[in-house]
Amino acid sequence: MIRPLRLWMLAAGAASLLAPAVGLGPTTGLAVSAATSDKLIRGYESLGVVPGKPGGRLTMVLGDSPQSFFYYGAIDSNLHALAGHLYDGLVEYNYATYELEPALAERWTVSRDGRVYTFSLRRNVKWHDGKDFTADDVVFTFEQIVTNPEARGGDAGAFMIGGQRARFEKVDAYTVRVTLARAAPATLQYMRLYIMPKHKLLSHSVEGGARPADINSAWPTTVEPRDVIGTGPFRLQSYVAGQKITLARNPAYWKTDAKGTRLPYLDQIELLIVRDPEQQVAQFLAGNIGQLNISGAQFPDLKAREQAGAPFKVVSSRALFGSPPHLAFNFDARNPELARLFSDLRWRQAVQTAINRQRIIDDVYNGLAELPGHGVAPVSSWYFDTRRSLGRFDLQAAGRALDEMGLRPGPDGVRQFPSGRPLEFTLTYGTDSAVWPPIATILQNDLKQIGVRVNLQGILSRTLLSTGLSGNFDAMLLAFGDQPDPELRKPIWQPGGALYYWHRATQPATPGGEPNMAAMQPWERQIYEIWETAGTTVSRPQRKALYDRWQVLFAQNLPVILIAKPMAVGVIHNRYANYVYSLGVIPGYNPVPLIYQK
Amino acid sequence: MLRFVLRRVLLMIPALLVVSALVFTIIQLQPGGFLTQYLEDPRFSPQTVETITRQFGLDEPPHIQYLRWIQGVVTRGDFGYSFLNGRPVGSLIWERVGWTIFLAGLTIACTWVIAIPLGIYTAVRPRGAAATAVNFVSYVGQATPDFLLALLLVAMVLSRGGTNVGGLFSPQYIDAPWGWAKARDMLAHLWIPIAAISLEGVAGLMRQMRAKMLDVLGADYVRTARAKGVPGQAVLWRHAVRNAINPLVSLAGLSLPGLISSTILVSIVLNLPTIGPFLYDSLLNKDQYVVTTLLLISSLLLMVGNLLADLALVWIDPRIRYQ
Amino acid sequence: MTDRAAIPTGASSRGWQRFRRSIPGVVSAAILLVLYAVALLAPFLAPYGAATQHPDLRYQPPQRVRVIRQGRLVWPYVYPMVRARDPVTFVVRFTEDASRPHPIRLFVRGEPYSLLGIPMTRHLFGSEDGTVFLLGSDAFGRCLLSRTLIGSRVSMTVGVVGVTISFAIGIVVGGLSGYYTGALDTLIQRVIEILLSIPRLPILLALATVIPASWPSTYVYVGIIAVLSLIGWAGLARVIRGQVMAMRDLEYVTAARAAGLRDLRVILRHIMPNLSSYLIVTATLALPGYILGESALSFLGLGVKEPMASWGLLLRDAQNLNVLHLYPWLLSPGALILVSVMAFNFLGDALRDAADLESL
Repeated sequence: MIRPLRLWMLAAGAASLLAPAVGLGPTTGLAVSAATSDKLIRGYESLGVVPGKPGGRLTMVLGDSPQSFFYYGAIDSNLHALAGHLYDGLVEYNYATYELEPALAERWTVSRDGRVYTFSLRRNVKWHDGKDFTADDVVFTFEQIVTNPEARGGDAGAFMIGGQRARFEKVDAYTVRVTLARAAPATLQYMRLYIMPKHKLLSHSVEGGARPADINSAWPTTVEPRDVIGTGPFRLQSYVAGQKITLARNPAYWKTDAKGTRLPYLDQIELLIVRDPEQQVAQFLAGNIGQLNISGAQFPDLKAREQAGAPFKVVSSRALFGSPPHLAFNFDARNPELARLFSDLRWRQAVQTAINRQRIIDDVYNGLAELPGHGVAPVSSWYFDTRRSLGRFDLQAAGRALDEMGLRPGPDGVRQFPSGRPLEFTLTYGTDSAVWPPIATILQNDLKQIGVRVNLQGILSRTLLSTGLSGNFDAMLLAFGDQPDPELRKPIWQPGGALYYWHRATQPATPGGEPNMAAMQPWERQIYEIWETAGTTVSRPQRKALYDRWQVLFAQNLPVILIAKPMAVGVIHNRYANYVYSLGVIPGYNPVPLIYQK
Repeated sequence: MLRFVLRRVLLMIPALLVVSALVFTIIQLQPGGFLTQYLEDPRFSPQTVETITRQFGLDEPPHIQYLRWIQGVVTRGDFGYSFLNGRPVGSLIWERVGWTIFLAGLTIACTWVIAIPLGIYTAVRPRGAAATAVNFVSYVGQATPDFLLALLLVAMVLSRGGTNVGGLFSPQYIDAPWGWAKARDMLAHLWIPIAAISLEGVAGLMRQMRAKMLDVLGADYVRTARAKGVPGQAVLWRHAVRNAINPLVSLAGLSLPGLISSTILVSIVLNLPTIGPFLYDSLLNKDQYVVTTLLLISSLLLMVGNLLADLALVWIDPRIRYQ
Repeated sequence: MTDRAAIPTGASSRGWQRFRRSIPGVVSAAILLVLYAVALLAPFLAPYGAATQHPDLRYQPPQRVRVIRQGRLVWPYVYPMVRARDPVTFVVRFTEDASRPHPIRLFVRGEPYSLLGIPMTRHLFGSEDGTVFLLGSDAFGRCLLSRTLIGSRVSMTVGVVGVTISFAIGIVVGGLSGYYTGALDTLIQRVIEILLSIPRLPILLALATVIPASWPSTYVYVGIIAVLSLIGWAGLARVIRGQVMAMRDLEYVTAARAAGLRDLRVILRHIMPNLSSYLIVTATLALPGYILGESALSFLGLGVKEPMASWGLLLRDAQNLNVLHLYPWLLSPGALILVSVMAFNFLGDALRDAADLESL
């Protein structure tokens, strides 16, 4: 406990000495062609990307009909998947490193105190209708849409910093300044949010005389496709309700490949609306779909077909996004005996020792998963290697640990509390998934062998989190997606956060209030302070040191027990090349413009 | 006659009101709410939850929500707002109800075209090997869950290298203008859902037709007709079939809601743009106005189906008169 | 259920004679008797527990029972299967290890269980040298045969319990409605009409989503039955009403009434017994709807939950193209749904023909 703390302090101190300056300009090695103002996309040879040829068409799937074509009008994963093709943000992720790099903003500077961001916009970027993209659009998007609390898909909360709303100002036609009340380095992450055309949406905004909530009614799915305008690689061509969305190439897109060929290569993208995952696979096998993201459970069949000569490839890669499942014990369980047990670190450590991660990775994920990080994906540059803390699967050691806690087996083999009551609890998991039920049954089986009786309770996956937040559970299997910057997951991992569901006693009495520090265990208080500090720390190395420390505390104290980090798996037809895996719903990460038809 | 129809139509109104209230109550009993599923989204702050709750009127007590909705339906024909789709319910359902009725109608047509001749055949030749086989198959058909059949058919098509494994069209025809090629493409897709949905109906209707035919063929007037020397074929078609078919007409009306039910499961498996998957999703997401409206429409279809069946019965059978 | 149906209650012995001549009917009755016996004795018949996992034997195909070894007839035995995982595709393949025959033993000692309250450890059959999975295993190496046998308890009872509840409600409500006529009748009829005008599956789904997620699986099972029977009674009540109406003016009924018996007693004691053959046939024909209803709910993830097993839930594992392609034996519980539903239909038809009830 003590040694890592000292190490951490040392690391943080050293980091602050080494990196006192804060210039967070574009990553080096990224060429920006000044003459055309286009963004040159290169340097992805490691991902197998080669110069392609223009033309062709790719059909992909969408899990359901989008609720709107207006990104900020709904929180809907199908809309998000579609929006990546239509819209751009000021910054975007590097496909390989997940670092932020210029998109609609050609470069940016951050003031020394971390409060003022100045974005220089890319010139000669056109909206799909031919109008120029300018600073007015950026200011309009943030002032009128993103920070409008009535916009359903908006994000007013992210720009309320230090109790004040961020200020967005137009400096000149191609320069935008953002001013914050205090330093908040995660703000740059939110600059991936898509920029919307002022000239099309003004009439729906407060500035245009509408009520704040009217913004949500912009671009419903019945809108004329021509009216949906972005700066993205494709534009909306047509929509057949509930069946298909067709996108056409934006000939004036602002990215080119290494050879100067304008991206995207493809002339057309079709998004077929197929809801059932089995049906999606069937459509892919039938050749109606060119690319599909699949789960590890679907891997063996498709891989076997690939080996047998089917005209497609199954591609798996370590991915940043994607949700590593965890096992959470309710520190505030209704049964006081269980609550006391679950709050005891020795119990959680014993359970961790009884989790056969390798078997879960092999059997549930068909090998397509790796040992998990703690709140950070192992491929992320923020990752701190905590694998040693995961320990080894050892049922005997787990049993001994429980013996030492005074939990002795009763006559029926089930361990008993000192009160004589059997050690049993309910494990809540999602039934409608290929992953949760097998993990739950494996855990049940292994814990049974060390004398712990687990009663399984399956519910629909989408109700898991609300059940967790209501506190009405003993133990739960759940997963939160990883993000490129830990700060984006603060409500989950900071004790007292809105999604810190396994220890709700730490949460503030009223939403938005001060968390209940008194209810926190010492290590939770440490983690809390780390998050508070990291949220305003400007220097990247200092932040990294803080988050490293958090990951170590996480791995040692096990607020939840991480199980595995799934890999990203997709299949693509051999007609296409330059496939870089993408979940497709994260703003600022869309490698589809690189795909070309052979 | 007109008064009879009018009376039936008027009786539908209170029934539909009760149905809508009942369904609305059931949805309110569901645990959780529409918004809970979004909580994990990093963009979804407590303020957003509050804002949307207010925008959707979900902060009001349920009975007020219901009364407001029903008022909108009655006075403005406004079926409320779909939280999930961010659009008025009316237009959303309109997009899908057409395909649903089309599919259900086509299924009924196929069911009758196949089942009635088979029923007649198995009644006329009850002991033949073919009749026994048809009979047995009909039992199998009634016992096979339709979703399983749909899945097996897809697997079969796929293993034979087919491409028509779901949906109503190949991707390239979805937004193409209507023409022979598109119609052919649709037929190539349509047979799987039609087969999966109608198998059970065919089996049931065929057995009913057979039973009625056997009754009728044993009846006095048929024997009399035979004795009078009316040719066998004429007896069969003019007397027996006609009389046997009458009671089945009322069944056609009753089978409509059953078909809508079957299209739900099969549409989920086969990805068809009908109201089935839509209903399922809305239910799971507690999209209350969509669910209530969909059930209301299905109930209305059922009542109209019953009424039409009764009227068809009058038309077929001159002995029946409604006062 | 079935043995009661076989006794000619209320029908003449001619009906019984007629029923015995119907080969499909008799065969179906026998099949159903066997299925219910299986459900009763499931833990004894099953070589393993429904939830027992064999981590090394996931997706093992069914083992073939052999009786000939080196050209001679021997006691039935199986070959153990050796698992190998394709390093590239992760497809698991099993090959028989012909060097080590495992004889199948009867009454082997195995996992403890309780049958009718008696704790036992003997299972009908098994292997003392290794495992024997006659129907193969599932994704967790659980014996599919054992799961199917134990799952029959849910699947075979869901119908019977559901129909019983439906009938209890239907008989009382339909009986009262037909017996009293007048305002009560009109009211009940309106209620029934409304219930019947709600399509079955949508309302079934709606009700199934109401079952609280926090309920343990046994409660969910009860909840599913309640939902199914809540929907099933209305149609029945309507038919019973018609029958009661026709009977209430019969002489012996009016006599019973004149003797001062309470109305409900008249309905239950004097009218219903005369409808018994009718009720039995209707019940038999209604049962498949419950079995299929349960499997549909399980297919959509709204039915019974792990660790409970039912045929519908087992079939859910097979509803996957992957599985159809690689592990087709997981479809076998579907065959039991098919067989049981067909048997109920055949039996119902045979009983109807025997009881001469054309109107059904």
